Amino acid sequence: MANITLGGNPITTIGELPAIGTKAPDFTLVKGDLSKASLAEFKGSRLVMNIFPSIDTGTCATSVRKFNEKAASLENTKVLCISRDTPFAMNRFCGAEGLADVMTLSDHKDGSFGRSYGLIITSGPLEGFLSRSVIVLDAEGNITYTEQVPDIKDEPDYEAALNSLENN
Amino acid sequence: MADITLFGDPIRTWGELPEIGTTAPGFTLVTNDLETVSLSDFKGVNLIINIFPSIDTSTCALSVRRFNEKGADLENTKILCVSRDLPFAQGRFCAAEGLENVVTLSDYRNDNFGENYGVMINGSKLSGLHSRAIVVIDENGIVKYTEQVAELKDEPDYDKALAALN
Repeated sequence: MANITLGGNPITTIGELPAIGTKAPDFTLVKGDLSKASLAEFKGSRLVMNIFPSIDTGTCATSVRKFNEKAASLENTKVLCISRDTPFAMNRFCGAEGLADVMTLSDHKDGSFGRSYGLIITSGPLEGFLSRSVIVLDAEGNITYTEQVPDIKDEPDYEAALNSLENN
Repeated sequence: MADITLFGDPIRTWGELPEIGTTAPGFTLVTNDLETVSLSDFKGVNLIINIFPSIDTSTCALSVRRFNEKGADLENTKILCVSRDLPFAQGRFCAAEGLENVVTLSDYRNDNFGENYGVMINGSKLSGLHSRAIVVIDENGIVKYTEQVAELKDEPDYDKALAALN
């Protein structure tokens, strides 16, 4: 269980982010075209997972735009934006904003990604959402960087996440 | 289990809609303000529950607009639009469209509405979303009318749902 805050008020999550140096847990998520995505299909690419509560909130939308700006220049790296929004909501957002360099993936179906990565919020008004986090994987699927953003309303540290890729 | 179709292809739901004449099953849903509401909060009020897969698809959006148009004239009646969209997606839609006569409620948190009302889609690319259905409940909490829309992309029968309370 992790203790974070929402606008200063304490809330909790279901677990801890995966430890650095460990193998990333497998997952099944839903793509914009409603097909399934699993960790295995990204093998050989480095992954930046940008995880957030809902694309229809200001900070989450900003994070998707910012990672999209950076994503085009990253070698052998995919940016996955993951939330419990429906795939339809994510498509609407990315279609309207013309964002092509990030892949949005939905954990709407059963929250299994959120549980295995320790991200489901378990108290407060955002109960059931994913907490705001960044997780970076190397091309072999090992965890190389994580950030659990301490207050849900704050943006993640984009530079630190991207810098972690330069050291791999 | 109900057999319905999606663009003609057969899909299924986990259960059946509640039977007409029975007491409506309880539920807990989340409002756009992230508060929880239960069936018991609507005691003494007629309810038309407009259930659909996602507000970000055209038929669902249309159904919310259509019920919003009709909603203003109804006495002692609330129209609840229920889906597994996140509350922020529902709030964005209703704010952008200026819809004030409908209440949008989200079943994202624990799926108890989908299970209790038998509307969770099973075994298709839409699994985990609600089927398109209407449930009308009178002020005493009794189910008066239901429609499981046979083809998911089709609109529900608005007039029949509205007439069920007369």
